[in-house]
Order: sequence, then structure tokens, then C-alpha cells
Amino acid sequence: MADDKRVLLKIQGLRIEGYSDEKWIEIVHGVDLTLNRGEVLGLIGESGAGKSTIGLAAMGFARDGCRISAGSVEFDGMELTTTAESDRRVLRGSRIAYVAQSAAASFNPAHKLIDQHTEAPVHYRIRKRMESQEDAMELYGRLRLPNPREIGFRYPHQVSGGQLQRAMTAMAMSCRPDLIIFDEPTTALDVTTQIEVLAAIRDIVDQFDTAAIYITHDLAVVAQMADTIKVLLKGDEVEEADTVTMLDSPKEDYTKTLWAVRSFQRPQKSRPADGAVPIVTVDNVDAAYGQTRVLEDVSFDVHAGMTVAVVGESGSGKSTAARCITGLLPPTKGRILFSGEELPANFRARSKDQLRQAQMIYQMADTALNPKVRISDIIGRPAEFYSGLKGAALKTRVDELLDLIELEPSQFYSRFPPELSGGQKQRIGIARALAAEPSFIICDEVTSALDQLVAEGILRLLDRLQDELNLAYMFITHDLATVRSIADEVVVMKEGRVVEMGPKDVMFTPPHHPYTDLLLSSVPEMDPNWLNTVLEERGVDNIGEAART
Amino acid sequence: MNYFVIVYYALLIGGSCLAAYFKRREIFLALFSLTLASFVMGIVGGQDALWAVSIAAGLLALAGGTAYAFREFLVIISGTQTAKALRTAPLTASFGMFVIFTYAVLGIFAPVIAPFGEGEVISQSFAPADENMLLGADQLGRDLFSRIVYGARNTVGLALVATMIAFVIGVLLGMVAAVKGGWFDQLMGRIIDVVMSIPGLIFALLLLSIFGTNLIILVIIIGIIYAPRVFRLTRAVAGNVVVMDYIEAASLRGEGMWYLIRKEILPNSTAPLIAEFGLEFCFVFLLVAGLSFLGLGIQPPTADWGSMVRENATLISFGEITPLIPAAAIALLTVSVNFVVDWMLFRSSGLKE
Repeated sequence: MADDKRVLLKIQGLRIEGYSDEKWIEIVHGVDLTLNRGEVLGLIGESGAGKSTIGLAAMGFARDGCRISAGSVEFDGMELTTTAESDRRVLRGSRIAYVAQSAAASFNPAHKLIDQHTEAPVHYRIRKRMESQEDAMELYGRLRLPNPREIGFRYPHQVSGGQLQRAMTAMAMSCRPDLIIFDEPTTALDVTTQIEVLAAIRDIVDQFDTAAIYITHDLAVVAQMADTIKVLLKGDEVEEADTVTMLDSPKEDYTKTLWAVRSFQRPQKSRPADGAVPIVTVDNVDAAYGQTRVLEDVSFDVHAGMTVAVVGESGSGKSTAARCITGLLPPTKGRILFSGEELPANFRARSKDQLRQAQMIYQMADTALNPKVRISDIIGRPAEFYSGLKGAALKTRVDELLDLIELEPSQFYSRFPPELSGGQKQRIGIARALAAEPSFIICDEVTSALDQLVAEGILRLLDRLQDELNLAYMFITHDLATVRSIADEVVVMKEGRVVEMGPKDVMFTPPHHPYTDLLLSSVPEMDPNWLNTVLEERGVDNIGEAART
Repeated sequence: MNYFVIVYYALLIGGSCLAAYFKRREIFLALFSLTLASFVMGIVGGQDALWAVSIAAGLLALAGGTAYAFREFLVIISGTQTAKALRTAPLTASFGMFVIFTYAVLGIFAPVIAPFGEGEVISQSFAPADENMLLGADQLGRDLFSRIVYGARNTVGLALVATMIAFVIGVLLGMVAAVKGGWFDQLMGRIIDVVMSIPGLIFALLLLSIFGTNLIILVIIIGIIYAPRVFRLTRAVAGNVVVMDYIEAASLRGEGMWYLIRKEILPNSTAPLIAEFGLEFCFVFLLVAGLSFLGLGIQPPTADWGSMVRENATLISFGEITPLIPAAAIALLTVSVNFVVDWMLFRSSGLKE
């Protein structure tokens, strides 16, 4: 076949097994994949779909505790599953490169960026050190990093997350590989940073005609990057098609549900009367960590039964505002009022009832639930602590709460958190907050660590609970799709200040404050041409500045 | 060439071939290199060397068999959760558990097992072993075997209590320091630094000469000397737990410090603490034995392994192994405890592969 010259990677009948509970369990059940030179393939699926495992298998690599049990991985005519490890190692780094999700965790913090960049080309004798440094600077320039001639001489902690991710992409390019595997490279970034990284990655892949496998759970992102998209579910392929076909007319039901996720939207509630006393009032609050001021003159209200979404990039002070309300970080100036009554600044000085009124749900359910405590005790403790319930009454209450969060009590009552899935853990976190019978709940990025389908389930649950129990939510998030689905009011924060606030419908219709505009326009859309359009509007060259102003 | 030598080599070569046939690489390598080494040993040391090798192999096989059987026994009698954990135990660990179990039985039932009392003089000093005395007599004519059995109770019991005191002090202070932080943490840290800067044995000698060699004082002093290490470990482990969101959630709920320590932090730090307990126990045990050897530990006529080594030390110059028997008892227990601790450390570090 004439086509064969173009085929770079061919995976056939790939099966991968993982070792757990003293036996091997198959986690990837026979996946085929063909990638031509210069093409970008998007792998998409929920967590546990086997995306990353397949990505690593494309380098002939299986994680600790995993093994490739069947199938073939053919890279440029070379069968990787049977090649000696030493030959594969030469291949990795020089001809296949890998860009990990967390650049911060993947760079060695003790070496300068450029020294890590030049390591592979020098090691494989592709370039001399000085040549390689020159090349690095050029790549930094192409990836639109500021000061490309100097930035390489910084340490990883001296550059921002988005810059680090681009430096990592540059590093992957250092040996001009034929194939790069991107494993969720932008998931940990803010939308405004994500757009820069996406544009940079796409350009450089284009310029060097590199093939890429782009792994993500975000459809809108993959629509910008990939030529073809493959949808995975629990280690099986669901369907594969080119990007436009896939977006316009998905065949399988599962794919359609993925596409439909973003459609959940709740009608906005009407604003309470002007005289109504808000549940929580943040009144001209300043806060600081040591000498660093992180909040300046922040004020907003949360009314009973309403959801206030606080949005902004990381470092904008959203979570700090929450810490001020809970009393973990006493404000340096200003007051926190609860139903019109001023709260002591430090939570230790607050009464049991004041503490009960405001509860919190955390981003990482893994660290928010004690892994060594049974579910019954996690949920039961606040009920016991605040209401003094004991014995049978306590058990009834826990069952009631488990029912409320749609988990079968008999199944979950005596289990431990590590046995639960991410979505279930988050539900337990919600139940723990509800057990205190609060009137106000702070939701700190509660859905950002979850898959879209699961996240939607959580949002629907929170919405239902709000209606049933007349709860007020302060919803901290950087995801504007979430804001659109459940917020009543929106507070936009930047660098510790409130930039703009108002009801949702007002906030989502122009004219916007320039920063709100930037945030809104940076949210990826399903349209494959979205990135081009946005870049054109902003002017490609000054995209970096656009994000900073 | 006699039958023994023929059988010896036949077994080794047959075993190697079987291992090779079943593709058990390590076993084959071990057996076959032993065969090759035996050629040299047989030429140099004659038949006796081969006998020694066979006996050593037999003992090793016996220990391995005991360990295996003991592990299976434990798996059968324990609940499903524990059984699952026990099944991952290597043979060294179950051997260690077996030895610890044996020592515990010796210590608890000492008066029943020992044929004579610990201070009972029944023979001439340094009398050799006979049908009455399994291991002969010590320097005063007391039965050595009985004294070793009683010694298990005294030495091990003392070390156990001292380790527990060290743990109660260290864990409690370490947890409080981790939760409270700030000045309390600093103050405790500096006090602990001071205690740790004084060499343990010297410190013990100093305190014992001030307060006198009373058993209770001895236990408390040893506990205090070893508490700083426990404090440091606890503080480090608890420090990692304290920053978790669930601790924040609990303290926002208004929970007191005691609840936080007991219900939230302690369950998440038991694994490294238990492992540390095993290690500390060995050190304490050796310190007790060392103090007894110097005459400052358990006082005569109470039997104690450390002082037994000292009292019989003169026999070494006569080529007798008697003083080495209590020393071997100490060594065996230390090694066994470490076997078990190694396995626990391995489990708690999460390196399951």
C-alpha cells in the first residue's frame, strides 16, 4: 500500500492489565489506533477510560503494576512490545516525547529549565550543548514565551504554570520527535492561560509536522487540537471519526451524552426584595498572608436560597474570601455578617451555632474525607456534635442524609472513603455539610476534579438540595460553564479585588468589564474553528498581553 | 567415598535439574552454585564440611517450614481482613512472629516451664550440662536454662514497659505539637533537641547514679531517653496529616484538640508508629541489656540476659559457649522483631510491588 509510508503509529488489539487485589484485571480491552505523520489524534473519555494508559503504551511503556498483555504497538515499522527495553529507551525522548499533565510536578525543581531542556539532545548526541541552548531559545520564542533568551535560565518555580507547560512542550520538541503524547496538558490551567498554551502547542505541532496524541476529557479543547477524535469508555473504543463529523453527528449514545453535558442550565431565581437581610454579608474585607495583601476591599452579599458564583483565575483571592468567611483567616479590615449579625473574625471565637450555620464542601474529596473513618461516622459526627443525636436516632439521621444525596444507605453505611469513586466521595462531602443543618454552604471548586458527567450529577444534586432546604451557596469556581448552569449572581474577582458583580443574565450579556470579557471569550467552545476566531479577534501576537491586562 | 557424600551430591544435582526444568531461575542458581562450592569445600574440608553445610541447610529449611506453617496457622485463625494482610507476609516476617510468640509464651509461663527457680542454687558453679540441667550451671551453680526462661520475662517485660512509656510521652507530645504549632511546637522541639544531644547511655548512667537503681526509676528513665525520637517521628507524621482538608473541616466544626488527635490524626499515623515501636523496642532492649551488663540495670538475683552475659563472661577464656547463650537469645529476638518491622515498614510505605 502506498499509504504505509504515512503511517507512523499503528496499535492493534492492545490489551493492558493492571494488578490489584492479588490478581490481574484487564483495563484496556483491545484498542486499535492508527496515526499518520503530522496528524493529531484526540483521545477522550472519563477518568478510568484508559486514555493515559493507552498514551503510555504508544511509547511501549506500561506503568508500575500494569502490563501489556496482548496486541501490537508498531512505531515507524518497529514493534515496540517486543523490542528490548534499552532500544525503547533510546526511542523515547528522541523520537517519541511525552508532555505530562502537571508540568510543575514533572520538572526537576533543582535545575534550570534550559539545562533540563538540553539534557535529552546532548545525551542522544543529536546536538552539542551550545547548539541545543540556541535551539531552546528559538523554541521558547516560537511558543511565545516572554524573554525567550533569558527565561530558560530560570528555575521551574520562577515561572508561571502556563509558561511552565509551554517550556515543557518546548522540551518535548528538543529532539524534534516524530510523535508527542500530550496527557491533559491544560487541565490544571486557568482558561485565560489555557488558551495561550493551546495556541502555542497547535502552532508548533503544525510547524514541525509532528504527529501527536492529545489526551483530554474536555471536548471543546480536543475540538481545537485534533484532526480525528477517538472516544473511549472503560478501556473500550466507543467510536472514532474526524473532528467535524464527530462534533456534528456523533453515532453512539455514549458520545451524545458527553456532548449534551454542557446543556444543564437552571432558571435564574429572581432577586430578593431590596430590604431583605442577606444570609452572609462580606463587608469591605481586606486580608493578608503575612505582609502580602491578597484581598482588597471585597464586598458582596449572599441571600437565602440563592447561589453566588465567585469566579476568577487562580490567585485572584476567591478561596481566600471563603477562608475569611469561615474565620480560618481573620480579615485585617472589614466585617463578616451572618443574617445581619457580626461574626467574630476568628472561627475559634465563634459559637457552636455560628459554626453550624456555615459549612464547606471541598475541591479534593480525597483529602477532605478522613480515609480511616467509616462513612457512617463521617456523616454522623456533625449530626452528633451539633444536635446531640445518639444511637438509633443518629443512625436514622445518617440514613436520611445518605438518601438525600442519592446513595443507598445499606451499601455505604459502613464503608471507608478509599473504596468510593470520586463522585461518591464528593457526595459524602455534601452529606457531611448537610448533617450540620446549615443555611449557607461554601462550595470550593467542588466539580473541577470530576469528570463532566459526574460533575453534572453533583450540580443537579446541589440544585435540588437548594430547592428542598432553601440553602444559600457561595460557589467558587474558575469554570464558566458551571457558573452558567447554576449561578444566580456572579462575582468576578481579579488580584484580590471584585472587578464586576451582578445577576447572571446581566453578567453574561455584553457589555462586559474587559476582564470579564477576557474570561468569557477564553472558554473553549465546541466549534473547531473557535480557537482561530478568538486568536484573530485578539491578534495572534499579543495574546500573551491580552491575558495579562 | 561413602553413601553420605553420594546422596549429598545426588540431591543437589537432582534438585538443580528439577529447578532448571521448572524454570525456577533463582532456585536453580542457588542450588547449582552450592554444588560447585561443595566441590571445593569437600576437597578442602572433607566430609565434615559437607555435614556442616547439610546441617545448616536443614536448620534453614526447618526455620522456613516453621515460618510457613505458622503463617498458614495465623491466616486460618484470623479474620478475613487480617488474613489478607498476613498472606503478603514474607517468610522472614512470619519466622519473626513465631519467635516473638515463643518468647511471649516463655515469659508468661516462666514458672511452669522453668525446672528450677531463678535464684535456686542446685549445683556447683559452672557445672557442665547433664540430664538435670539442659545448659549447665552458671557461676553460682544456678540452672542456666531456668534463668534464661525467667530472663525472657524480666528483660523483655522491662523493655516493653519502657518502650510503652517512651511512646505514650512521645506520641502525646508530638501530636499536640503538630496540632497546636507555634510556640508550643518550638518549645517542645528545643527541649527535645537538648535531651537528644546527650548520649543515651551516659544520660542513663547519670540519672541512675542520681536516683539510684530502682526498677521503676530505671523504666521511667529509659522511657524518657527514648521519647524524643518518638516525638520527632510523630510530629513529622502528624504534620502531614494536620494539613489535610478533613482536619480543617473538623476544626471548623468546633472539635476540640483531643478529638482531633484521637479520631482524625491517630488512625492516619498508626502504621509508621507501629513500625517505629518495633525498632524502638529493639534499642530499648539493648540498652536494658547494656545497663545490666554494667551492673546498673536489673539487680541480682533477678535473672536478666544482659547481666547473665557479664556474670559468665569469664567462661569465654575457657572456650565455653555458655555466656553466648543469653547473648544469642538477645540477638534472636532483636533480629526477629526487625524482620516483622521490616515487613510492616514495607506495607506502610505503600511499596507493594
